Amino acid sequence: MAVERPPLLERPEFERQSLGKAATTDVARPLSLAERLANMDPVRKLTVLLAAIVIWELYTRTAEVPALIFPTFVDTIAALWKGLFQYDLATQTWTSLKILFAGYAIGMAIGATLSFIAVSGRFGSDILSTLASMLNPLPAIALLPLALIWFGLGAKSLVFVLLHSIVWPVALNTHTGFMSVSEPLRMVGRNYGLRNVRYVAKVLIPAAFPSILAGLKLGWAFAWRTLIAAELVFGAASEGGGLGWFIFASRNELDIAGAFAGLLVVILIGFVVENVVFRKIEERTLVRWGMQS
Amino acid sequence: MSAVRERPRTDPVPRPEIERTPIDVRHIGQIERPLSGIERVWNVQIVRNLTVLVMFVVIWEAYTRIADIPPLLFPSFTDTCVAIVDAFRDHRMLAKISFTLTSLLTGYAVGLVAAAVLVSAASIWRVWADILTTATAMFNPLPSIALLPLAMLWFGLGTFSLVFILVHSVVWAVALNAYVGFQGVSPTQRMIGHNYGLRGVMFAIKILIPAALATVLSGMKIGWAFAWRTMIGAELVFGATARGGGLGWHIFENSELLNIRQVFAGLFMIILIGVLVEYAIFRTVELRTVRRWGMQR
Repeated sequence: MAVERPPLLERPEFERQSLGKAATTDVARPLSLAERLANMDPVRKLTVLLAAIVIWELYTRTAEVPALIFPTFVDTIAALWKGLFQYDLATQTWTSLKILFAGYAIGMAIGATLSFIAVSGRFGSDILSTLASMLNPLPAIALLPLALIWFGLGAKSLVFVLLHSIVWPVALNTHTGFMSVSEPLRMVGRNYGLRNVRYVAKVLIPAAFPSILAGLKLGWAFAWRTLIAAELVFGAASEGGGLGWFIFASRNELDIAGAFAGLLVVILIGFVVENVVFRKIEERTLVRWGMQS
Repeated sequence: MSAVRERPRTDPVPRPEIERTPIDVRHIGQIERPLSGIERVWNVQIVRNLTVLVMFVVIWEAYTRIADIPPLLFPSFTDTCVAIVDAFRDHRMLAKISFTLTSLLTGYAVGLVAAAVLVSAASIWRVWADILTTATAMFNPLPSIALLPLAMLWFGLGTFSLVFILVHSVVWAVALNAYVGFQGVSPTQRMIGHNYGLRGVMFAIKILIPAALATVLSGMKIGWAFAWRTMIGAELVFGATARGGGLGWHIFENSELLNIRQVFAGLFMIILIGVLVEYAIFRTVELRTVRRWGMQR
């Protein structure tokens, strides 16, 4: 059946004369050096940092804030220098870090064992989830008075509260990570005949690594906070040592510049661990495996 | 044009017909059977969790009774329960809980508002984005409890110092997560928002916050965890100096008096509040939003 086609409309031909001046300015131009510098991330961040320091220095100098309330930046750096080379800031820092590493290593081992038990059976998983969900919201520092009674003053009590602050976030996150490993991945593992330790090491851990790493980071954050708080308590209770104690003692001697120097060291260590160590681990694993951008 | 090669066709091979006789399956054992009452009860998650709890309470009670642990070191479960009832009876415990929670909620609320302001500024101006990322990278790893000695010097002993360090512990964790979440909102969703003509606050409420809610919520949870730990720590360390005193102070005071039963009672209340907030409040919010929307399993 033939369809009646409408006749083609013929439009008249025309030719545009001048279009007039385009209203755009630069469409494309090479960026100037200043602009290219301002587009670099480290440059902008360093500028912010420098600006903050300059404002701090200017504020304390022009408003004549008493050094007892808020020391100048120069004073703080001088105090840091003095603390590192004349007083025992370096050894105090080392004391803190040693306890922290010991607690972190043991805590990771316990957390790993707990989650290994939890993947081996349903009742084990119930024990872990009940215990962890109950004990995870309990701030570790609240156990310090008890730990002092049980283990006496010293590194043992500190390691005990550190353990408490690390084990639960690590175990909880590892467990959730293991539980959400997809079924095909598990089946691939079983297909290869992997069992027990090799199954966990070759299939579960790589697949659940984002969640495990999140747990490790959270555990680190809690441990770092707990350690500083615990040393402040020690400072209040008895003569101890460590970075928290340094801050507390400096403040008690009204050496506020010294307290600021202690805070700077705390910030520096935290910054290095969170933005260098963990970032590197992420780049080597998650980013490389395409699990995180 | 290339000619398609013709494959030589083979005739199907006829296979002999066979007939299987049913195999005796009894050697396999039970293939299917109704679960017994015990098994069905055991399959309920809550029952298993409660069993674990009861088991621990029994082990605790039996251990302290049989090994004759002095109550100064480790009180039995019944002692602890009696201590909790005692503490509630003379209203000390309620006053302490309300003191802790009031300061905590004030600090948390102020911290959330501050984080919202910072993140909004960072989403609009690039300078503020730089300031925010630099500040969070620097201050997030700084335990806010370390600022307490200084805060007490600046603002005096009292609630204001507490709120100051609480805000510090909340604001960076929340701002960092919210900002990362907003950055990760896909351009498609952003363009849909622009297409609807949403701008400024409406754009944030209708597009950015729902799309990044999973990250924002996890930031709020971490912020809560930090604030909760900071609060208890601050009360433990300096509760003696701040007037009133809350749960942390209850623990410290009673451990100094060697009244360990009351210390355990305080720990119990802390666990209870922590579990309530994490599992009743945050879990409910998650179930109602990100899980319901299929953004999180």
